[in-house]
Amino acid sequence: MTARTPVPDAPPGWLWRTAALAWLLVIIAVGVHQWQFWKHDGIDTDVMALLPVNEQAPDVALATEQLVGQMSRHVVVLLGAGEWGEARAAVQVFRQGLATRAGTRLREDAIAQKTSMQAALDFYQPWRERLLTPEQRALLANTPDAALVQKALQDLYQPAVQARLSDWVSDPLSLWTQWWTARGAQSQARPRDGELWVAADGQQWAVLQFALEGSAFRLSGEPVLGNALQGALADVQAQWPGARMVVAGVPLHAEAAAVQANREINTIGWGSLAGVLLLAWLAFRSLRPVALVGVSLLVGCAVALSVTALFFEHVHLLTLVFGASLVGVAEDYGVHYFASRQGAPGRSPHGLMRGLMPALWLALGTSAIAYLALGAAAFPGLRQMAVFSVVGLTAAMLTVVCWFPWLDRGTMPHSRVAQRIGQTLALWPRWRHALPGSVAVCAVVVLLLWLLGGLRAQDDVRQLQNASTPLVAQQRQVGEILGLPSPAQFYLVHGQTPEQVLQREEELKDRLDALVARKELVGYSGVSDWVPSARRQASDAQRVAHAQDAVFKGVNAALGESFARASTPPPAPLTVQAWLAQPISAAARPLWLGERDGTYRSLLMLRGVKGVESLPALAGAAQGIEGVAWVDKPAEISGLLQRYRISMTELLLLGHVLVLGALWLRFGRKAWRAWMPTVLASLVVVGALTAFGAPWQLFNVLALMLLLGVGIDYGIFLQEHEDDPHAWLAVVIGAGSTWLSFGLLGLSETPALKAFGLTLMLGLPLVLVLAPLFRGSAHNKEH
Amino acid sequence: MSFIAWPKRTALGAALCALALSSLAQTPPAPAAPAAQDLLAQVRQRVHDAPVVRGGFEQLKTVKGFKQPLRSSGDFVVARGKGIVWHVLRPFESTLVVRPDSLQSRGSDGKLTMQMRAQDEPVLRTVNAMLFAVMSANLSELALHFEVTGQVSPKGWSLHLVPRDPTLAQWLSAVDLQGNQFVQEVKLQEARGDSSLIRILDPVADNTLRPQDAAQFE
Repeated sequence: MTARTPVPDAPPGWLWRTAALAWLLVIIAVGVHQWQFWKHDGIDTDVMALLPVNEQAPDVALATEQLVGQMSRHVVVLLGAGEWGEARAAVQVFRQGLATRAGTRLREDAIAQKTSMQAALDFYQPWRERLLTPEQRALLANTPDAALVQKALQDLYQPAVQARLSDWVSDPLSLWTQWWTARGAQSQARPRDGELWVAADGQQWAVLQFALEGSAFRLSGEPVLGNALQGALADVQAQWPGARMVVAGVPLHAEAAAVQANREINTIGWGSLAGVLLLAWLAFRSLRPVALVGVSLLVGCAVALSVTALFFEHVHLLTLVFGASLVGVAEDYGVHYFASRQGAPGRSPHGLMRGLMPALWLALGTSAIAYLALGAAAFPGLRQMAVFSVVGLTAAMLTVVCWFPWLDRGTMPHSRVAQRIGQTLALWPRWRHALPGSVAVCAVVVLLLWLLGGLRAQDDVRQLQNASTPLVAQQRQVGEILGLPSPAQFYLVHGQTPEQVLQREEELKDRLDALVARKELVGYSGVSDWVPSARRQASDAQRVAHAQDAVFKGVNAALGESFARASTPPPAPLTVQAWLAQPISAAARPLWLGERDGTYRSLLMLRGVKGVESLPALAGAAQGIEGVAWVDKPAEISGLLQRYRISMTELLLLGHVLVLGALWLRFGRKAWRAWMPTVLASLVVVGALTAFGAPWQLFNVLALMLLLGVGIDYGIFLQEHEDDPHAWLAVVIGAGSTWLSFGLLGLSETPALKAFGLTLMLGLPLVLVLAPLFRGSAHNKEH
Repeated sequence: MSFIAWPKRTALGAALCALALSSLAQTPPAPAAPAAQDLLAQVRQRVHDAPVVRGGFEQLKTVKGFKQPLRSSGDFVVARGKGIVWHVLRPFESTLVVRPDSLQSRGSDGKLTMQMRAQDEPVLRTVNAMLFAVMSANLSELALHFEVTGQVSPKGWSLHLVPRDPTLAQWLSAVDLQGNQFVQEVKLQEARGDSSLIRILDPVADNTLRPQDAAQFE
């Protein structure tokens, strides 16, 4: 090939100088930007931010975002003890302990003290006779007047306190009291001794709510909030060893994610950097290559981060984790250069670079295509990772091309390790009937896969979030203890006016009441629970008036009293707007999403859904009601991941065809020799993962895409420099460090990144071992 | 989502009466102040502890807005561990059954007119827990929920109970109990001004439930 022909090297021209200077200016600008970037928090931790906006339901995404936004600063702490008295005392110790640790950041939201029931009652007073629960509405509609009278008389004479919110005359059937009771049933927690109290799991729990102040988190690697909570708990447990704590809240998850990411970035980033530099040292036995490769990696990562930050509003944490593995890929160019230098010590650095450039550009091109294909998946997170990686690779490459020949003065010492590695290529067998043989192997693997029952596709959200972490378990426990609605499934209700939204909610709730009766769910929460539509207020007022008239008449007849309904003009209907201004609305306020583009929206959330088997019935309840959409987040995410898994598989196949085409342009009929090792390795990885029972996910497919981009490089280098031990050395070192990076990525606690890392950790060595087998025979160049 | 909590409509009275009627016997009232402990200990000595107590009752209820106080009468059964049945006979027949897990009211025709299950009504559960703690002779529960004062004389004892919990206090300002071997009088003072006075007539202790009473607890 061309590299073998000795050409006298021309001295570097003005183009080389200009390029080196221009690149220096770019790097200075990036340095300045980095300085700015780390001073501000531009980092995103929400795992869901990785997911694309569901193009099929953009307003669902918006609603979810609003809901999460409203909850993003809340932290709920349940402090439990065997006896309520202990729990109460423990709460005081806990508060003090927390104040000394994170007092400035966590401010207590003293709901129990703040919301005065009297104020709420006073506010609702004018609409007292216009509010009914579904049960009351059914009761009044189906009970004969005589039975209502009998019930009223019974209550009057039974030896029981009726626990009324008003005197008998105002509300002889206790409807108002029962209505408030139903409002209270939306949460298990009750005020007790100035705290919020709930009994569950044989424990007496005090409920504390905090709001986080200041920035949601910092990438310090220290779980400040988690430590403060644990510390305060330790104070409590010093006095009451049996005390327990369960916590929930978005800030805690964000902080845990940040701590985890920080740890992983360090492990993967510094781990692979150390590995790369060690390999470089072993191969080149000189500080210069080690330092220069280090510089190329540093520049690559810095430029990648700056460009990503410019392109996207927030840089996602997982981008950084993934980006840390870039170190193991971007070193290829520098290593390749130095390996060639070792092989041709006589040539000038610039002349050598000129000869290397076609292979380097082609390698960069295929890697870039592979990474960009990741970005084709419209996942904001993946797009970031793609941009980060492509920019990082390009920057590392440009550093090598523009700077290395200038900075690399002097000679390259010979290294015995390098020599030995290089010589292994000569010992490597060549596969004589590589084409039919490899096609046969492919067929066998496919057949085995088919016999094993195919891939076990798994598309649920578990790929994104490690659901087994203690924090997730605690979040669930808090939800169960307090009887909170689940954010996983809900209804999104639209309307032209608030009244229309409320009416549609009510139509939906009428259907849900039937499902509640069938025990498909425990209940629901919606704004219309607190503010019925004007239409319903009017019809309920009529029912109440009729029932009261009947009861008064009956009681008057039986007891000789003279009760009568006061004839007051009906008040203007209770409105959402008035309600929103009241403290009592605090808990349900997140359900009202307000107006946007002339449309009002609200959420109706569900409590105690029996299980997955109830979901079809719940989905069916929304059918036929205009403006009501059923949202099943897990199903939506699964559907999304499944769609992308399928389309990315298609894209992977297309990618293989395109790469084969690109190789054809360069190598002609020998193209398959560079391509086949990657194909074989991919199939074997799929087979191995399936055989070991690992689920098959979108992220495995994406990893195979990357395997195509990176693995093909090995084939290219070996085809370009067929029996060159120095090219082989570069490939081995490159593969070693890439393998190290992705191996470390395989340690990530984020299932998606782990799947990614594992796939590449298996695939890359396979390509490396297979690639030399596919060299054409020394005598017969055409297969 | 909603941490705001509202007190339940409870048949508190029923529970409290039963609490009072049940044998206030046996247990040392643990967390109460020494004086209250002493008092409860003395009361405990007086009260006859029996698995079943039966008798008649008379109630005088004063309800705001009514010209006349409401007078009713009937009989009752308290069975330790099972619950209480109030059988109102005059002027309108009805039955109120308080059990650990539920509260039921029936009309003269036996038709259910009201039912509350403890699992749906958490406060009912606590009230019942309180009630049955006392019935199983655990007076510490009583002292937990009320400030207890009172006196014991050779003729009998009287207790004045004020709810400790503001939630409970929203409904009930005070309970007065009077008794000797049995509870003789219960006075419930509601926070809204209504009040009930229940007099226990001819109470009898028994070891087992009569079959017709047992049926009420089924």
